[in-house]
Amino acid sequence: MQTEYAFFPGCVLTQAAKESRMALEAVAPILNITLREIPGWTCCGASQAQDVDPLATLVANARNLALAEQMGLPVLTSCSTCLLMLRRAKAELDGGQKDRINTFLAKGNMAYKGESEVTSLLWVLAQNADALKAKVVKPLNGMKVAAFYGCHSLRPESALGFESSVNPSSFEKVVHALGAQGVPFDKRLDCCGFHAVYPAEKSVMLMTSEIINSAAAAGANCVVTPCPLCQMQLDIYQDNAQELHKSKARVPVLHLSQLVGLALGLPAAKLGLDYNVIDATKLG
Amino acid sequence: MATLIIDRFDGKKHYEQSYVLAPADVSGKTVLNTLLFIKQTQDPTLNFTASCRCAICGACGVRVNGHAILACDTKMDDLIATYGSDTMRISPLANFKVISDLVVDWEPAVENLRKIHPGMVAKPEFSMKEGCRQTQAEFDRIKKQWDCIICGCCASECNKLTADNRDYMEPFVFTHAWRVANDSRSKDPLLHGKPAVAGGLWNCVHCQECANRCPKGISSADDIAALRAKVMAKGMTDGVGPAHAKSFYTDLVEDSGRLNEVRLALRTEGISTVTRAGMAITLMRQGKMNPLEAFGEDPVEGHAALVKMIEAAHAAAKE
Repeated sequence: MQTEYAFFPGCVLTQAAKESRMALEAVAPILNITLREIPGWTCCGASQAQDVDPLATLVANARNLALAEQMGLPVLTSCSTCLLMLRRAKAELDGGQKDRINTFLAKGNMAYKGESEVTSLLWVLAQNADALKAKVVKPLNGMKVAAFYGCHSLRPESALGFESSVNPSSFEKVVHALGAQGVPFDKRLDCCGFHAVYPAEKSVMLMTSEIINSAAAAGANCVVTPCPLCQMQLDIYQDNAQELHKSKARVPVLHLSQLVGLALGLPAAKLGLDYNVIDATKLG
Repeated sequence: MATLIIDRFDGKKHYEQSYVLAPADVSGKTVLNTLLFIKQTQDPTLNFTASCRCAICGACGVRVNGHAILACDTKMDDLIATYGSDTMRISPLANFKVISDLVVDWEPAVENLRKIHPGMVAKPEFSMKEGCRQTQAEFDRIKKQWDCIICGCCASECNKLTADNRDYMEPFVFTHAWRVANDSRSKDPLLHGKPAVAGGLWNCVHCQECANRCPKGISSADDIAALRAKVMAKGMTDGVGPAHAKSFYTDLVEDSGRLNEVRLALRTEGISTVTRAGMAITLMRQGKMNPLEAFGEDPVEGHAALVKMIEAAHAAAKE
């Protein structure tokens, strides 16, 4: 089992989703995972800067990957959009862009070689579900979890490819290893709308509301997601979305790392549960 | 035994009907051949559309277990393996009005396609006499998008269309707008870009369903992103969408190299972001936002080198 990773936190883990990072850094040592933050990493473009200047964003991600290669480690991120942007950049570079982009990276005495794979926390946990289960000290028996994948953990399959995008199972496998019960719900593979919350706010609020209602109707105690952007959308905007659509349902929304931390017996404070907007402390 | 649960519509009521088939009657067959087999042997009233049977005409898009596929290009064996079950639900494409069983109304989508002028309007240097040629390299830049067979699989799964189709068009419409706007022979990219913006170019939610479901491997999401870049380069920079995208780019290249969430809202919505004051208070109360970040942050280690790399890329792109 790979135990050491070049860690790409992504921008939101240092800001509005800081609890995701707190929880991840709390659970990693227990799981014998060493996370070495990539020094000088920059924003992956977040599928937004790409709309302005795809070439500049490809250069930035080639540099991010080259920085990880200098560490001699595979890249791990716990943000699904970072995962997609980095993997797509790698596919473009490996698919013929490497030499051209390297002429630009040379201006900073760097080169992309293509040596570091890019993976996610969800995938690493799913691949090591038995080892994860063995570390569980407080099985989440009786907890009903709505495992919300988020688009960029699955789609497009051509770029992510870890599992079927129409019938995935990695998340349920992890939830099961933690002792919790994954509940089926209609909106499990839907989009939270985060990336269009400014330009398409009405639609996005409807999407958010429907996801929460779907999880509530399935009897979930919490929604859990591997993506901090989905978490932010479903948690921070939940009150607004539900008020707008006159729905009473409120469901705590956890980061995957927070759920793992609960099963590893870590206290709520270490997992940053009090940073979640919809009260999640009662789960701790 | 395999069971196909088909969502049907007789013009008045929606209902489901199950058809049970022997394993030998689905094994080795495409979904289309299975539907034809049902029509021929069990139920001649079952309606669906199909024509070429070889993934060229785009007429046989349907949903299996809620995910759009081209019926003639999808094998039953593969679906059974994917879902681990030989019971599956076949439904008409979503985000279209159903006419009968698996037959949907294409007229509104075709009307949207008309809006973006899918036919190329040639530059003045071309003429009937001289022709309207392009090099192989110029054609190669748009050939992927020419593969679109307008099957509707992208539109069926588009999460934005499902939420609200009043301010958004079918993803393939944007692909065709990109294709014609980027045709080397086209006179004016904005002839196609402007109606694309009016039709919701900035409202894509990035769900990637279009890219995932296209039987031809086209990514309308990528075409939407590229068309956004194109219309911005042509001066269409007004609005929340362009401002939002630009703020990410500004943070990456001109500021610290990382997103500044406090500035993001201000840059995206300007002074009208005060309408989000309640949200900002929530974030600050929860310790999720530091207002001091409005003053900016130091560039990340190596950012000056990144800027040099990007400048070199821009210079090379100009040449």
